[in-house]
Amino acid sequence: MAKPLVFQFGDCDWPFTMNKVDRSRLYGYKEVEALDDHGRRCELATLTADGRTVVGRGGTAFGQIAPDGTWRDKGQLRPIDVDGNEIQSVPSSFGAPIKLFDVATVDEYLKHNIRLVYQMSREGDPADGDLAAELARGTIFKFPYSYRGGLEADAGFLLQGDDGNTFLAVGNPTKVEFIGLREMAVLEEEGEFDETELMDFDMI
Amino acid sequence: MPEINIANSAGRDALVALESVRSTLKVRWLDEQGRQVESARLLKGAVDRDLDALLARYGELPSVGKALLEGDPEVDLENTGRLLRHTSRVYVDGDRQIVHKVHFWEIVRNPDGSQRERRPRRMLDPNLAGEQPLRWSGVYIRRDQACRKFVFSSKVQLRHTNGLTYDFLYGMAKELERNDCLMLLGAGAKSKEPLILRRGGSPYRGFLEGRTQGDTYSLVLHFSDLELKAPQETPPPEAAP
Repeated sequence: MAKPLVFQFGDCDWPFTMNKVDRSRLYGYKEVEALDDHGRRCELATLTADGRTVVGRGGTAFGQIAPDGTWRDKGQLRPIDVDGNEIQSVPSSFGAPIKLFDVATVDEYLKHNIRLVYQMSREGDPADGDLAAELARGTIFKFPYSYRGGLEADAGFLLQGDDGNTFLAVGNPTKVEFIGLREMAVLEEEGEFDETELMDFDMI
Repeated sequence: MPEINIANSAGRDALVALESVRSTLKVRWLDEQGRQVESARLLKGAVDRDLDALLARYGELPSVGKALLEGDPEVDLENTGRLLRHTSRVYVDGDRQIVHKVHFWEIVRNPDGSQRERRPRRMLDPNLAGEQPLRWSGVYIRRDQACRKFVFSSKVQLRHTNGLTYDFLYGMAKELERNDCLMLLGAGAKSKEPLILRRGGSPYRGFLEGRTQGDTYSLVLHFSDLELKAPQETPPPEAAP
């Protein structure tokens, strides 16, 4: 059985099981099939720069290469940000109960791109308890969320949907800004038209 | 820079710029000597050395196993470990030969996996910057309500390209702010078509949000292709009436 995600609200722990919500489960999905002229199924592969070596699925790997061309194990590397500060890794959210005390405004929630949604369910009456009452009032709790730990935690939001169910929305903040008159978009300019280029037949 | 052709509530339209608002964590990886490393894609094995090729060459799995013990038929000394750059995507058939003429079909399936339709693949054309502007629909939804009904997976920001379009967009942002709502935005003659950003891209429902702060404005187009609701439980086949 999957490990529950536990929240701490007030003096109580609230364990929830997670059920991913995506388009395929709500509306169905599409598969794309590639066939040759004889109706036989084709598969996607990679053609290398030499034009003749074909690499199938599972035939490639990613690695880390130092400036001198030598291989480096990922475990021996340390991550830093653009300012040169070492990035501290974050633990998995399943390791300890998540304290719910930060609340997000609608503005703040709308500033995030939500990439994952889970329906959260727990044993007993889902409408029972202080947490359920708070969510029913329209509160959106926010907290750092990381499934398995890593370099950066995503933004997690616990909220009640219009259908009365509780959902966990996982997303990333965006850089929406207010724009003044002088901050206009610069469209690409076309280069000057050179008539002599039209008469250039040296097209090798 | 991508553009959008949009009309305001008075029916005036303009072509303005669209800007991405994604922000990503920039990470550099340093080795023990403090040197920055780069990610590289490497070749492990080509199709002429994979399991299917070895089976075609040796006949059965036990024979393949024996060959692997006696030698290294799966390793191509010329290619294994090669850095891959400037690659192309191709389709290959069952004989691992490149196919030059490929026909694409879409199989549309229901949530339970059953087939609903099979049709030639359709590549949808973008419709944000077409000749017909996206009309002001006048269909509003409260912001707090929208958060609980839809999942906004991405967004872009509208930006003016000159003084006239600054006034145009500022006015739109002010009107939307007054209503404190998101406005549904659709494409097509009746503003009901979903929005498509690029050719072959996924269709989305659009929601326009406007805010002002002094003489600055923020007009954000939120994209959603998912409602915030629990999936219906699909009964097992034997329980269906």
